[in-house]
Amino acid sequence: MGEVITGNGKILRAYGLEVSGCSLPAEQVGGDFFEFISCDERTVFAVIGDVMGKGFHAARLMETIRHMLRECIRINPHPLEVVRRLNKVGGDELRKCGAFATLCLLCYDGITGRLSCVNAGHHPPLLLSDGKVKVARCRGVALGLLEDYLGSGVEEFFLAAGDAVVLYTDGLVEACGPGEQRYGQERLKEIVRLQNGADADRMRQNILSDLETFIRGFSQKDDVTLVVMKVTGRVGEKGGD
Amino acid sequence: MKRVEIRVRQKKGMAILEVEGELDFSNVEQLQQEIQRRPEEVVEIDLQGLRFIDSSGAGMLLSQARHLFRQGRTLRIVGIPDLIREDLEVIGFFRVLEIIETNPNA
Repeated sequence: MGEVITGNGKILRAYGLEVSGCSLPAEQVGGDFFEFISCDERTVFAVIGDVMGKGFHAARLMETIRHMLRECIRINPHPLEVVRRLNKVGGDELRKCGAFATLCLLCYDGITGRLSCVNAGHHPPLLLSDGKVKVARCRGVALGLLEDYLGSGVEEFFLAAGDAVVLYTDGLVEACGPGEQRYGQERLKEIVRLQNGADADRMRQNILSDLETFIRGFSQKDDVTLVVMKVTGRVGEKGGD
Repeated sequence: MKRVEIRVRQKKGMAILEVEGELDFSNVEQLQQEIQRRPEEVVEIDLQGLRFIDSSGAGMLLSQARHLFRQGRTLRIVGIPDLIREDLEVIGFFRVLEIIETNPNA
């Protein structure tokens, strides 16, 4: 899997995708994370999450959840099973600390273009296709809040070359500018809509520049994590991977 | 540390805690201790004056609700500002509250 890591960012070019992600910590290190996890020669997971709290404690819990996530994918890669299992094993760990974690898991099949999405208390992803932005409907309770995972199940989309998916944490949409106004999902949708044609890394940079313009140097309460996934072709095709 | 102000009122077997300001990891214990200190059957948390809550605040409210329901008591959360309601909705906060009210061990 061709992954390039630069500072807070990571770019993946494989599976007929370009995926660009980054995590920008606020004043104190928090529990945001994102992962690209290879499953087999046609399937890859892109996951974003946020563990409750700040500082060393949140960072340690986040590492535990990341490790367990990989293990759950290895045991049974069905997206809903991954989240159910993670809520069992990771949930125990979180409950011991009186914490919880939000997570949005995407599983992409590079041959069929099928994207499966399961949500555990996270902001739903945005989908950009033909210049139109759609908000995914998948919902669910955050990990660790209930013994058994409760959610709307797996939501599926079929992506074509040029389509993009945007994952983000609450730190992005809840970022405050002057007058305590929030950046918000509507502004995010609009800037995503304007990115039709840009590659994933450029899209990520443009969204973050728009956020910078909005917050005008105001210090933020929460980390900002953003992942943009763009379909470049099909696995095995020229222009794919 | 963020500023949070808690005003306590009492009303027939019920304590009302009015919370004002910003509730986050740096001051969440203040409210937690105040909830734990109350002997009343019903503890009502009025969030009308709340401007911000982070995940630590949301997690604490749910764990205190669970704790009270286990004792056969009630924790009620009222006056939630719209933006904060939307944030809590995303994590499944109200779904969890509903479930633990009937089964605090869920």
